[in-house]
Amino acid sequence: MSADQTAASFIENAPPGELAEVIKDIGSLLDLSQLSISPAIEKYNKEQFVTTKLPGGSTLVIVSSYNDLGGGRFFDSESSSSFTYDHSTQKASDVQSYPIEGEHASIVKSLLRDVGNHVKEHFPSLPAYGVYPSDDGIAILIVGNKYSPSNYWNGRWRSTYIYSPSTSTLTGTIAVDVHYYEDGNVRLVTEKHVNENIRSSSASAIATAIGNVEKKYQEELNRAFGALSEGAFKSLRRQLPVTRQKMDWQKASAYKIGQDIGGGSRR
Amino acid sequence: MADPFDSALDLLRRLNPKHITKNLNALIGLVPDLTEDLLSSVDQPLQISKCKKSGREYLLCDYNRDGDSYRSPWSNEFDPPLSDGTVPSEKVRKMEVAANQAFDVYRELYYEGGVSSVYFWNLDDGFAGVVLLKKSSVATSKNTGTWDSIHVFEALDRARTAHYKLTSTVILNMENTSEAIGTMDLSGNMTRQIEADLPVEDDNSHIVNIGRLVEDMELKMRNLLQEVYFGKAKDVVNDLRSVSNLTEVNRERAAHSDVMSAMLRR
Repeated sequence: MSADQTAASFIENAPPGELAEVIKDIGSLLDLSQLSISPAIEKYNKEQFVTTKLPGGSTLVIVSSYNDLGGGRFFDSESSSSFTYDHSTQKASDVQSYPIEGEHASIVKSLLRDVGNHVKEHFPSLPAYGVYPSDDGIAILIVGNKYSPSNYWNGRWRSTYIYSPSTSTLTGTIAVDVHYYEDGNVRLVTEKHVNENIRSSSASAIATAIGNVEKKYQEELNRAFGALSEGAFKSLRRQLPVTRQKMDWQKASAYKIGQDIGGGSRR
Repeated sequence: MADPFDSALDLLRRLNPKHITKNLNALIGLVPDLTEDLLSSVDQPLQISKCKKSGREYLLCDYNRDGDSYRSPWSNEFDPPLSDGTVPSEKVRKMEVAANQAFDVYRELYYEGGVSSVYFWNLDDGFAGVVLLKKSSVATSKNTGTWDSIHVFEALDRARTAHYKLTSTVILNMENTSEAIGTMDLSGNMTRQIEADLPVEDDNSHIVNIGRLVEDMELKMRNLLQEVYFGKAKDVVNDLRSVSNLTEVNRERAAHSDVMSAMLRR
């Protein structure tokens, strides 16, 4: 692997909210000016639905491949505007009017309202959402981040849905990424594919389906923690031996020191 | 500018621990000067080999490696064979043999399977060693996991006592795959250190002391892992998204605080 490829793979692996630290570490190992890491940073930002505030705006808007206009510009349906996003400084600038037009304009508007209400009710920390018309249908993105570096943990929830008006289906993925790193490094990475038929083509039916899918998934995930704890974890190492007594090391070490343990008498 | 070694460790503390070996190799490829330092300070999941002489399985790590050969704790021989491989002194090897016996019992009591290996080496004023334990859950289950324990210690001689310094790392990787869950990967490692002065009568005392230190440490770390993996990680997920409507949650909170302040006023 070239240095660029290695650096790109590290960037791609960066935990939620820790991209700057990962890049700083790479910079202490290699001369960043000799590397071409901007494509990797741009890819990371778009895949992770990095959020930013528009100049003068108060809500977070998403940067992703679904609202990418090319040439470093992205659009936000809610504010009917487009903007330039600088992937290295993570700042938006040069806001211009960008009204949503075409056959999906009215459903996009309704979805912004209904998905927005759903996000308000269920994403308490740094929420952002976007509804973008695309060739495959209408992309609906939701992201929630919680950063607590002083307590050594960070997390991100990402929902990606494509609503297809022609088939009235909702497909996509829900992904959760949690990093805990106090005296260690523990990572939770989940991904669940979504494929739902929607009964009616109204925005409220779509938002309700999203709410149901996410609720069901979150409850399954909460149960899965218990299943892993009671299942795999317990089967790996007991808390105490069957006897409920700690080991008698005096007795165990009474095997005479010097005795040859080779010879394969066991197993 | 930060020290490159510290930055490499910081990077490994941030990148997905599931891919520690891949990331470590990538780092070494990037900064070959750090190879020795990184290999000796970064714990990776343990590899299993089979002792040619005894037929028993043993664990491989940087501490029983000499060049490309690894020493079996059961036969004290290197594979591939080395005529001049580094082995412990006769006295320390005797203790190593006894420790392997004792931790074999320990492994059966706590892990009910798996593989254990203990390696000792001489120090000028005592000896040092590593206790390794590895267990993988049955692969047929949709809940799978692997546990690797790596306990590195020093035992420094004092009058009638020894000073023990123990650094323990547990690497715990778990996976849950199902229709309802999709894929859920919960992987990582945690490290803890402890120091203790304990009485020593004879060489047997060392085995007893080290055994108890490791046993207590593993109990503590198992509880810690339980808390972080199934408590903290789950809490963060539910901080990111609330199952209940936040309007209701906030109303209940407000009602609760009204009750509390009413009670305080009385």
